[in-house]
Amino acid sequence: MAKGKQKSDIEKLTFEEAIKELTSIVGKIEQGQIPLQDSLEQYEKGMALIKHCRGILQKAEKRIEKISEPETKSQ
Amino acid sequence: MLCPTELRAHQLGNKINSKPSQFTHQVFILHTNSANSKLMPAAFAFIITAEMQKNRAKIYTVSQVNTLIKAALEENLPSRLIVRGEITNWSIGPTGHRYFSLKDENGILPCVMWASRFKTVKFSPEDGMAVLATGHIDVYTVGGKYQLYVDKLEPEGVGALQLAFEQMAKKLRAEGLFDDAHKKAIPAYPERIGILTSESGAAVHDIRDSIHNRWPCAKLFLYPVPVQGEGAAEEIAAGLRDVNKRNEALKLNVLIVGRGGGSREDLWAFNEEVLARAIFDSKIPVISAVGHEVDTTIADLVADARASTPTKAGVTAVPDMREVLGQLTYFEKSLASKARAILELCGQNLRTILASAVFRNPLLPVRNAEQQLDELGTKLVDLIRELLVEANAKLHASYEQIVKIEPHRLLGRKTVDLNNLRNRANVAIKTIINRRRMQLTAKANLLAGLNPKSVLQRGYSITTAKKTGLLVRKPEDIQIGDYLITELAPKGLADENLIESKVTKK
Repeated sequence: MAKGKQKSDIEKLTFEEAIKELTSIVGKIEQGQIPLQDSLEQYEKGMALIKHCRGILQKAEKRIEKISEPETKSQ
Repeated sequence: MLCPTELRAHQLGNKINSKPSQFTHQVFILHTNSANSKLMPAAFAFIITAEMQKNRAKIYTVSQVNTLIKAALEENLPSRLIVRGEITNWSIGPTGHRYFSLKDENGILPCVMWASRFKTVKFSPEDGMAVLATGHIDVYTVGGKYQLYVDKLEPEGVGALQLAFEQMAKKLRAEGLFDDAHKKAIPAYPERIGILTSESGAAVHDIRDSIHNRWPCAKLFLYPVPVQGEGAAEEIAAGLRDVNKRNEALKLNVLIVGRGGGSREDLWAFNEEVLARAIFDSKIPVISAVGHEVDTTIADLVADARASTPTKAGVTAVPDMREVLGQLTYFEKSLASKARAILELCGQNLRTILASAVFRNPLLPVRNAEQQLDELGTKLVDLIRELLVEANAKLHASYEQIVKIEPHRLLGRKTVDLNNLRNRANVAIKTIINRRRMQLTAKANLLAGLNPKSVLQRGYSITTAKKTGLLVRKPEDIQIGDYLITELAPKGLADENLIESKVTKK
């Protein structure tokens, strides 16, 4: 249940946020100063973040959209 | 700190300012009664003198003279000339026309530049500045002076645009618009990028390609704006402000403002103050990408980051996806290996713990506890025994004390006393009872003599009516037919002395 929530939270992250969190997780695990249980959770979260980042990178549309004039100029 | 061009302008300024009041402004006035030929330049004086000699007797009006001068000037001077001089008495009229004079070591020339003409001047002329002014000489008849009507003004030495750029840079730098402290960080991984450039130019394609080659996941949004010509700077600035205002919906991480290469004039919009201020005010980080590598514009200086050309915009704006993917792979491997290492380390720790004495002889702590319990138990028994002995001793002592008091003897003595008292009481009571009994017998005997029934013994009887139980004393007390009870002296049982009889006669 908590895991499902975590997953949907990750999917909401921007690439920048995801990379930031990932960097912090890798840092924490590399320092090795977290309890085993935490490190396993962090590992799983890290892997989910990597998957999410790759997902974003693969969504390459190579499109350029035009910003239309503001709909309500009277605003 | 100063760039070379600035330094030059600075030195130039100093040089000019070092002799500020060498020349004074002179006013040329032709008056009907006080024409002062000494004030007139030699050529001018010559022309007038020639005219006067021809018409020695004629008297002219001021207007006529002025008209003559005007004609003479038109005839003798080139219709268009370029004058080099130093600006002095620079002033702006309420109508926007510029009035000033040009001077050199020996003289001074009044000048005027109409507002419509001055609009094309990019730099800011000021006193002391060496300039080339292009225009024609004419007479200002109202003021009675000739002046140079300037239609083009350029700084001497450097180009007008270069000077304008330097002046703008100096002004905005002084205001702090270029300070690093104000530069916003370009997001490391922008996902939505706004591009403000011309829809038709090559720059938009260059920017798009340069971004997508490195970072294909970026979504690009083009805000089409004119990038050169009259009003272009204002439109780009308005675009920047508009995008900022709408960014809650647009969610752009970074903006790129730019255009492809061109002449200095073509790029001029990017040197204008209105655009510089819009870039400075933008909440969204702005990257400039203007012209070729060698071009530097005000926009470049004020922008949060600068791409030397539109084709380099991607390098400034976005990371290289290959590098990012490489980093992700590194993270993945690192996470996996570190997680494995932590697992192994924990496993090792577990084995070490399992190998310790505690786990080799798991009952040891129990045995230790048991031993401790035994020891405590023994100690407890000893303690209680000690307490008992102590209590016994106390009890014994108390008993001894009580024995010394000899309660049984006390009891014996008290029993004897009690018996004596009891005997004395018995004797006394018996004596009293006997005495009372004798008194009672005497009284009883006395009483017996007085008993009415005792007469029965002497032969009397007592008659009562059966019905009423009353004594029959008189014949009226009974009726014929009534039953009478006659009581005689008792012989034995109570009723045997009662005789029942019926009255039959009176």
